[in-house]
Amino acid sequence: MTLRTRLLAGVACLAAAPAALSLAHAATPDNALVMAWNIDAISTFDPAQIGEVVTSEIISNICDSLVDFAPEEESKVIPSLATDWEVSEDGKTITFHLNPDATFPSGRPATAEDTVWSMKRALRLGFGNAAALTDYGFTTENMDERITAPDAHTVVLKFDLVYPSNLLLQAIGAYRITTTLDREEVMAHEEDGDLGNGWLNAHTACVGPYSLVQWNQGEGVVLQANEGYYGTAPKIPRILIRHVAETGTQRLLVEQGDVDVARDLTPDDLSALEETDGVNVVSTLKPQLIFTVMNLARPPFDNEKVRLAMKYLIDYQGLGDTVMQYLGKPWNSFAQSGAWGALQGEEGTPFELDLEKAKELITEAGYPDGFEATLLIGSLPWSSPLGQHLQQNASKIGITLHIEQMANAQLFARARGRDFDSIIMAWQTGIPDAHGNASRLVQNPDNSDEAQLTQYPAWRASYQDLDYNDRVAAAVAETDEDTRREMYRTLQQDWMQTGEMAVMFQSYNVAAIRDTVQNWTWNGFRTYYTEASK
Amino acid sequence: MSRTGSVLVTLLGLAALTFMIGRLLPLDPVLAVLGDNATPEAYQRMYVQLGLDQPLIVQFGHYLLDLARLDFGNSLLSGRPVAEEIARVFPATLELATVAMILGTGIGVPLGVVAAVNRNGWIDHLARILSLVGYSAPNFWLGLMGLVLFYATLGWVGGPGRVDFIYEFDLQPVTGFYLIDAALSGNLALLGNVFGHIILPASILALSALAYVSRMTRSFMIEQLEQEYVVTARAKGLGLWRIVWLHVFRNIAVQVITVVALSYAFLLEGAVLTETVFAWPGFGRYMTNALLSGDMNSVVGCTLLIGVIFVALNLVCDLLYRILDPRTR
Repeated sequence: MTLRTRLLAGVACLAAAPAALSLAHAATPDNALVMAWNIDAISTFDPAQIGEVVTSEIISNICDSLVDFAPEEESKVIPSLATDWEVSEDGKTITFHLNPDATFPSGRPATAEDTVWSMKRALRLGFGNAAALTDYGFTTENMDERITAPDAHTVVLKFDLVYPSNLLLQAIGAYRITTTLDREEVMAHEEDGDLGNGWLNAHTACVGPYSLVQWNQGEGVVLQANEGYYGTAPKIPRILIRHVAETGTQRLLVEQGDVDVARDLTPDDLSALEETDGVNVVSTLKPQLIFTVMNLARPPFDNEKVRLAMKYLIDYQGLGDTVMQYLGKPWNSFAQSGAWGALQGEEGTPFELDLEKAKELITEAGYPDGFEATLLIGSLPWSSPLGQHLQQNASKIGITLHIEQMANAQLFARARGRDFDSIIMAWQTGIPDAHGNASRLVQNPDNSDEAQLTQYPAWRASYQDLDYNDRVAAAVAETDEDTRREMYRTLQQDWMQTGEMAVMFQSYNVAAIRDTVQNWTWNGFRTYYTEASK
Repeated sequence: MSRTGSVLVTLLGLAALTFMIGRLLPLDPVLAVLGDNATPEAYQRMYVQLGLDQPLIVQFGHYLLDLARLDFGNSLLSGRPVAEEIARVFPATLELATVAMILGTGIGVPLGVVAAVNRNGWIDHLARILSLVGYSAPNFWLGLMGLVLFYATLGWVGGPGRVDFIYEFDLQPVTGFYLIDAALSGNLALLGNVFGHIILPASILALSALAYVSRMTRSFMIEQLEQEYVVTARAKGLGLWRIVWLHVFRNIAVQVITVVALSYAFLLEGAVLTETVFAWPGFGRYMTNALLSGDMNSVVGCTLLIGVIFVALNLVCDLLYRILDPRTR
């Protein structure tokens, strides 16, 4: 067909467009799982750099780590790229045996050398996920000696101290630090010594059930099942994730069957969808805490009693039944419910709204007439109602909280710059163990401004308790499980009374799913696309 | 100063202003790249890599040199060139705004003329009601209501997005304008699907353009209808509609074109909420996301593009004035 003919045909077709308008809704294809999700936050697919929830979920279905989490029990570690492993007698060395059938999408066999290269690459780049190695003594200086591949299918990790081996395996699984990249492919795209970081912004090259076919920022993501995958083949060959920011729109799409899964819905939407035929609402607790953090560098929050008073200004259950219905459950401890070592039941929620007690505490602290402070909040749906709730209750005992609302990017910048009185924000750990949050929310190795430990929420709040630092260090070095569990128990109870945060909720992952989708499988740490079927 | 010179100065001023605002806003571009959990070393490395350790004037100098090569830098979020990203998302908005403009002008101008000629008649009342809705009802709300009624309840139009998923892989992007690409493919079902997706958001957007264009056309028309030449022409026995379309409309054409051009620019710039409700992967949504994420390279690139659009539309208007009104030559 010549260009002229094509153009003429095109014009004729355009004129016929209204007549061709299809009135029937198009169902989602059987060979694809279609999701509506706000995926604005995706910025890279480099496993060393990923921090966002959305990208973490997607990459965990693209790239296998040495170990994974059991779908039914998130703190249990199971084999993945490594078929098995041994811990040495002195507890300082773990030897992993890799699946010899693993190949990259390019067809090249995945070897232990690729795994070792990928781990060292993460250390060299120093992005957030490198913490899974640096926290346990690995540095760019010692990595050649401590991360080795004695043969093509064996990876050996040598640690500086004895750590609980399950914690180490959890960290390895959670932070994708052992994601095995096709080093030849990645290095073929290296620019200015970036170890392929620029290319991996929009590409993937690792061993896993799916490959990234397409990502257009603010539009969508397409995954396609890898044919040569060594593990169980995914039941649905294609995953389509369409960026839909508006929750009302997501609700309409899932109601009409134009998407199979909707991931960001308000309590009102979820409540209505629970009554909708053909749609199921499912949820799972995730390891994310929502809290008010107070800056100890600024009076009156340097006073322990003032911080405690703030924790009695929140109607946790009331909010949980209303604003946070479907979104979170009341929780006050730093260790998320479900983590190894976390408090159980009511032990984890000792606080309730008690204005008299709060008033008593600020009076004892020397502020009988209250005080003024600013409260920064972001743009997430729960930010404003939670902020207003705290503001109203605070005003009843004479505390004036001036709310400043801002974009989340600005909120993070203010938090990292220690430029705030108090902030409502969230934090998510990657490890299903109490140490995951203890090492960030309780421990603060160096409180000086120069230290710039911006990835420690405790540092951001200028919070440092040397006794707690020691207790966190002792707990992570304790190999007897019962003793270690008890150490975390008392640490949580003490920290809740004195810490820099009023932890309010632990979040849920919630989704509305068409009943044509079976086996939607997830826990707080993983969503297993490979298990879903239609 | 020549026309080209003033355009260049305008754009330079805009670039300087947006660049300075971008640097002074309390958003951290390094965080936009690295995320919230980066180590101080990685943070510092990226800080230097982005040139943020340089004095502001040096940064601006580099920025202008890049701009001269039409290089807006890389998006801090995706790492891809901003120009490439804008080229990807802009056709979606251009297509939506153009269809909206065709609808808004195609209905708004005749409606304004007829309303003026039949002042206080039922058509005038209808035009007033339409204008009131167009002006006062937020597009966001209208969009959601439109989706509930026409998509979810009646099933007359397609849902959010530019095309249904089942057609997603049938559409080969050639121009980026899905209506044209679908037409070129010769697949009528695909074209119908694309049309079904664009008609509702375009109609919602068109309503605000229609409100503005029809009210302005009406007032221009009324002003002219009261002129002596109209009374004389009527006295000579010329038919009313002949006078209106052949004489009066020619006299207001320049003003109407200005109104239409302004509406078009506002449609291109202001489709943000409509794009959000309709999950329309366009320029407005891209810019909003860039702003909220602190991706200032993208924000500055988008702002400059909007500036260029306004300047270009002004130039087009000037040209049309010269063609339509010999006095302006």
